Amino acid sequence: MADLDDGTVEYILNNRTHFEDLRQVTAQLAGLLVLAATGARGAAPDHPLLETADQLFQTAVDGLRRAHVPARARPHHDAVMQAVAAVRGALDAAHAGLGRRAPGVDLDPILIPLRAGYTHLQRAAHTLPGFEMVAFDQGCCGHGAGAAPRRPLPAIGDLTS
Amino acid sequence: MSSYSIWVMEYAYVLEQPTSLFVYGAHNQGHRKMPYGYVVIKGQGQTAMVDVGYNHKAYGEVLATSYGVENWQPPRTVLSECGLAPGDISTVFITHAHFDHMGNIEDFPNATFYIQERELSKWVWAMSLERRFRWLMLGIDPADILRLVDLARQGRLVAVDGDRENVLPGIDLRAAFDTHTWGSMYVTVRNDQAPESADAWVFAGDLVYCHENLRGDNPADPQYVPVGLATGSQFTLLMTAEKMIQQVHGDHTRVVPVHEERLRDLFPSRITKTGLRITELALADGEPSRVG
Repeated sequence: MADLDDGTVEYILNNRTHFEDLRQVTAQLAGLLVLAATGARGAAPDHPLLETADQLFQTAVDGLRRAHVPARARPHHDAVMQAVAAVRGALDAAHAGLGRRAPGVDLDPILIPLRAGYTHLQRAAHTLPGFEMVAFDQGCCGHGAGAAPRRPLPAIGDLTS
Repeated sequence: MSSYSIWVMEYAYVLEQPTSLFVYGAHNQGHRKMPYGYVVIKGQGQTAMVDVGYNHKAYGEVLATSYGVENWQPPRTVLSECGLAPGDISTVFITHAHFDHMGNIEDFPNATFYIQERELSKWVWAMSLERRFRWLMLGIDPADILRLVDLARQGRLVAVDGDRENVLPGIDLRAAFDTHTWGSMYVTVRNDQAPESADAWVFAGDLVYCHENLRGDNPADPQYVPVGLATGSQFTLLMTAEKMIQQVHGDHTRVVPVHEERLRDLFPSRITKTGLRITELALADGEPSRVG
């Protein structure tokens, strides 16, 4: 972040959580759609996840609206707000569609804006550091190479006798 | 006589991965190479894969710059080393939903994908938890979930509930719930088609990262040691290791972890022109070697 001014760094630090919350809402909606599409157990239209998504979405939007946006962060914020609009559309459609308990619900009215929202978030993530689309930290591949010296591997023969 | 040809295809790698990721509790024991790979199973008129790797377009740059993942190659390049193209793949078994195993779904347009229903439903449940539980969401990409929706609508996603035998002739899916992830599974290939196979292979996903998970580090006194990451429990990981070992009659070399660099010491292999390894585990009748 060496090339970023103080205001942009402050923007990043203040808005990472809101970005992650919005990303989480897209994941929540996508998860509900998978359950609906596969007919898996727990795919009930009154799934509590939809309410959780609503609350998280509102928290994220409130935070993003309060953000002070320096010039360097403007493209990021614009993209995130486009994502907000798209995800709001997906949430509204989810309430209307998933709530009808009708078999064979058309998922497109939810899926299309949701995908658009994800794309806007992805675009935002590319404009500033500190915003990631996948939580790699502590993940199965997310252990960054450290400074400890590399130890020779035990020979496979030592493990097979 | 083998029913299937089987290859482990490396598609990327990390040169310096902490050993504590591979082996639970192996702190301050340095680093080792971690290959990223998937398995190709060809025979009986079918071509199947165990896992499909990650989507380089989505997060390859992040992985490369932040975590040292090198030399990612697309499936069309990797699979060409065994004479195949992504469109030839008819069946994919997803061992678990982490991005590096499930992230490249869209590159396989003709495949039907099998995953444990519990893997889907528990991830969705985890998404409903408070932010302080976000560790449970690690490695999950919302875009992968969206791609699953498309698969399901195309009738190409099969959500399996527990064990399922003979998904393809001689190929069984075995549930390993509450282990590396909530709904992990492993794949057993009975390459002689016998119910009590004397020629079985187990493809372990991330239930095993390396042979130390099955043998410990003292060959005179072997023990199971779990992998360094489990959403479920270490206990169920160990009991699953025992089940896998029993399926191969105690021959731990037939429990295959794709993240194990030393497969090269056990099976014929070669380095391809792109610098990745192809390892040949079995050849069906009439299939030419791809490593000779």
